[in-house]
Amino acid sequence: MSLSRREFLKSSAAASAAAAMGMTIPAELQAAADVAESNWRWDKAACRFCGTGCGIMMATKDGKIVAVKGDPAAPVNRGLNCIKGYFNAKIMYGADRLTQPLLRVGADGKFDKKGDFKPVSWQRAFDEMEFNIKKALKSGGPEAVGVFSSGQHTIMEGYAAQKMMKGGFRSNAFDPNARHCMASAVTGFYQTFGIDEPSGCYDDIELTDTIVAWGSNMAEMHPILWSRVTDRKLSDPERVKVISIQTYTHRTSDLADIEIIFSPNTDLALWNYIAHEIVYNKPDAIDWDFVKKHIVFAASPVNIGYGLRKAGEKSLLPVNPDGSAGKYSAKEMQIVNKEMSKVISAKEAPALKPYGYKEGDVMTNKDAPNANLGHWEISFDEYKKALEPYTLDYVATISKGNPDEDINEFKKKLQTLADLYIEKGRKVVSFWTMGMNQHTRGTWVNTLAYNVHFLLNKQALPGSGAFSLTGQPSACGTAREVGTFTHRLPADMMVNVPKHREIVENRWKVPAGTLNPIGNQHIMKIHRDIEDGFIKFAWVNVCNPYQDSANAEHWIKAAREMDNFIVTSDGYPGISAKVSDLILPSAMIYEKWGGYGNAERRTQLWRQQVLPVGDAMSDTWQWVELSKRFTVKDVWGAQPLRGKDEQGNPNSLPSVIDAAKAMGYTEDTTMFEILFANKEAKSYKIDLKSFPQQGYDNTDGNGDSRNVIGSDGKVFKGYGFMIQEYLFEEYASFGRGHGHDLADFTTYHKVRGLKWPVVDGKETQWRFNANYDPYAAKETKESGNSHAFYGTIAKELMQGDLMGVKDKTTKALKNKAKIFARPYMDPPEMPDAEYPTWLSTGRVLEHWHSGTMTMRVPELYRAVPEALCYMHPEDAKKFDVKQGELCWVESRRGKVKARVETRGRNKPSRGLVFVPWFDEKVFINKVCLDATCPQSKQVDFKKCAVKVYKV
Amino acid sequence: MKIISKITIGLATAALLTVGCSTAKSVSEESLGLRKTNLYVESNATHGDATKYGTGAAGSGHKIQRAFQDAPPMIPHDTEGMTPITRDNNQCVSCHMPEVAVSVGATPVPASHFTTFRPAVALSKDGKLMNNGEVVDPAASSKGNAISIKSNGDKLSGTRFNCTQCHAPQSEGLAVENNFKPVYTSKDGANRSSWNGAKMTEGLNTVEGK
Repeated sequence: MSLSRREFLKSSAAASAAAAMGMTIPAELQAAADVAESNWRWDKAACRFCGTGCGIMMATKDGKIVAVKGDPAAPVNRGLNCIKGYFNAKIMYGADRLTQPLLRVGADGKFDKKGDFKPVSWQRAFDEMEFNIKKALKSGGPEAVGVFSSGQHTIMEGYAAQKMMKGGFRSNAFDPNARHCMASAVTGFYQTFGIDEPSGCYDDIELTDTIVAWGSNMAEMHPILWSRVTDRKLSDPERVKVISIQTYTHRTSDLADIEIIFSPNTDLALWNYIAHEIVYNKPDAIDWDFVKKHIVFAASPVNIGYGLRKAGEKSLLPVNPDGSAGKYSAKEMQIVNKEMSKVISAKEAPALKPYGYKEGDVMTNKDAPNANLGHWEISFDEYKKALEPYTLDYVATISKGNPDEDINEFKKKLQTLADLYIEKGRKVVSFWTMGMNQHTRGTWVNTLAYNVHFLLNKQALPGSGAFSLTGQPSACGTAREVGTFTHRLPADMMVNVPKHREIVENRWKVPAGTLNPIGNQHIMKIHRDIEDGFIKFAWVNVCNPYQDSANAEHWIKAAREMDNFIVTSDGYPGISAKVSDLILPSAMIYEKWGGYGNAERRTQLWRQQVLPVGDAMSDTWQWVELSKRFTVKDVWGAQPLRGKDEQGNPNSLPSVIDAAKAMGYTEDTTMFEILFANKEAKSYKIDLKSFPQQGYDNTDGNGDSRNVIGSDGKVFKGYGFMIQEYLFEEYASFGRGHGHDLADFTTYHKVRGLKWPVVDGKETQWRFNANYDPYAAKETKESGNSHAFYGTIAKELMQGDLMGVKDKTTKALKNKAKIFARPYMDPPEMPDAEYPTWLSTGRVLEHWHSGTMTMRVPELYRAVPEALCYMHPEDAKKFDVKQGELCWVESRRGKVKARVETRGRNKPSRGLVFVPWFDEKVFINKVCLDATCPQSKQVDFKKCAVKVYKV
Repeated sequence: MKIISKITIGLATAALLTVGCSTAKSVSEESLGLRKTNLYVESNATHGDATKYGTGAAGSGHKIQRAFQDAPPMIPHDTEGMTPITRDNNQCVSCHMPEVAVSVGATPVPASHFTTFRPAVALSKDGKLMNNGEVVDPAASSKGNAISIKSNGDKLSGTRFNCTQCHAPQSEGLAVENNFKPVYTSKDGANRSSWNGAKMTEGLNTVEGK
């Protein structure tokens, strides 16, 4: 019998006092409780899905997951999950889980690129991988071996993959899908703060007066954070203001006091308008004391292109008289050509005037080849000059996104927005996600956000700050902190910095000179290298690049038609698996020990809850088994690299075999022995009698009752040491003492996550703020400053003006952050007569990314079984398509069919349609453009031009 | 010698494979995954699965079984015209608040939704973070996590105001079967929430397994 609500209220009042974990439950509550699930085992875990990083409580019975509930002890979500969070319970139980390796074979049983898939042993799978990796290394050196990594890799998996790729294969063709999700936020952090990751934390929501969502449908994409925003808003509806700044109306606007619908890409102008309003009209609002102590002003080139393919690349040859080029049609080339040069439009001309451009000028993107991250210091007056164009009139004219809205009404909203930011004593949090990150000027617009907060001294304070929300569950924890990007190493170190390579080589006990200093193969470059026939081997880990990459037709064809070997490890057969040559069955999240790091710097670890299905094994295991196949002499000899050095000699990597011998290795020592099963690793003991291992499976460490036949044809009995703890602790050692401090492995199993830096057992709530951050406190001891922006990247700048560097002597800016002058510019493709409407893409609440997991959960599938094409009813009329019927959505690159929705949760204004990308059958990434922010290399999935017509 | 050994290995591998493959069925690329049509060409055969939400009126009595014990229930009725949920207009609660729900045959909003699980957050005079009026020691969180469960009286918790973040209408069919098996522990667990009282803290001590 359950309690009536009245009885519940009475009894829960007794439990109202805060109590430490492990509290005893009052007897009256015990008695009143329903039948307890006595034979269920409850344990904590992290949610599998978005970057919010909610805690869940997971129940298992007889080796199966039976229930999930929101964890009342988890600070992020306090007893509540969203619909996806609850259905973590079902994500591993889709009937078509991959249970065996599958290889394309011909009638003779040999690998055949055109063959159907047949089940093979793990041993055969690794034989094929070994053979094809060796073939690729021979053909093009380390750069011909690529890996698509992930912001959903666990910390340990990402670190294991990083070690083998960079330390073993010496390849930096290693980049995560987080490139598509967070890269612009990262370059924004690096350029502004000199160090990655946000200064604020989620407690800002309860402490603020103003929540501004910029290009972020938080209500669907970060639902639990939105539930906190909602709670805050409803608790004080007069004082607390919510502003929704979007390119189309969606659920986030339902709660808002003000909704601003802007024309795609003009968020650049909106931010500059607020700064203009401060600098020109309300200069008293500038906290000069803060600015002088903590800020310098900076500028960078504007002619940097759009991250598209460049003239002369192999797949763009030959250039034909009809305008087509290589594998790209004449229509595609209309846009690709803008990578080389473009004509300044009337819309952007006023914004580019301070940089010496006028309407009709041809801008040659000469800085595009390096798309350099370089920038220089300028004076405040130069910054002010850059802001001059952003008057209310100009900004309102170019940015009003709803053609049916009155311009004066729109202006009033912009003015109110600026006033709210500026209001003395009003705390303001700006949140954003993909709208500002997936943007051909994503780095710029990220830095513009900090400008406004800095001028007003509303950054890195409780309740105030610009805060980039993460998309994926471990984009911060794995992709960024472990550094699974082509150019990165753990803890904000870079492959192109000799000192950083040295630190990593020493820690990994690999010879000096092993690591490859050239890291430029970001996700789009890997795809393009495969299309060019250069990359011969690629391995997909915990992601779905053949569904999630824009301009997808090129990449799926390249996978199938070029001479290469593509491997996908996954729980289910998604599109990446389909276009692969070898498919490996991966253990899913709760079938292995793991850890994620969320958007507020919170690291969360979990234990293996159940055994994997079939012969599925963890990605860590797959990497470690692969490492057994490669010896010192296989990978550490001299290797060619592409391109030439400064002296004009071909780039290369030296042989480090002799150095390896001097370290006590032989030519036949395997990477397994060096990188994974070394002496230090073996010091992490299996201990089944103590917490946290007691009572929990550990397939990697001990094998399991399935007796899976492993990579050597024998039953896998486990590594015999606590490999996840080893990988975690070795990774953590890079950050300790360097502003990225983590607690130890066992502590994370006791707590509901901790926000790093964790120094002396204390987590950090607000970074860079001397009151909360021990690193900032240390740096400000003498100056007494309120903040120290202590990041060390790009902290010595040359001097110049908006047009360029004028004085090459560099000035140090220790502990300072930067405000950047950066203009509004058009995106490369905009609606025109033939393709008259914008296309924006994204997610829906009920599905995660490409839908591989969530489409297999009946409740989530039935909630949204198909990707709809959301549009304005007037547009439907104009395009002659009808509600509920199929229409074509076509761009210069491809087309798909989707059902028309004019009454749904997303309500675009005339001139924009929205199609989510979770549905394999509505393969919208065939339509999207693969333009990127040239600095961050993140693709803009939010805007391209399409036509919509009847099927 | 080297060549011979390579051939031998090759033959052995081939032999193993022949045995392995003769018993295993081959699988075509198109038969894998959710999209069973040609991936490379968008033909008329390829389109999403049409959405067919229930059209029964709210209050008609039909309910969808909960997916597992205390899982959020899905919406069995037509929701057209009931969304969006705005500050001034939440049509869901007008029927599902416990007082009304019984009389109209709606699933009542359960006790958990009238509970506040988050400690009150504020800043102390010197700027320190406080929970429930006490300064939070950043070191305390590394020793364990405070739990704060308080009744919210008759007031729906603001965190639960966006009903559609957990509850969704349902179309028909499946993309693929799912082998999850629910185990209901409370009487009528498929139809009502039992997550109240002591159950809210059950299992939270994951260090000692209580």
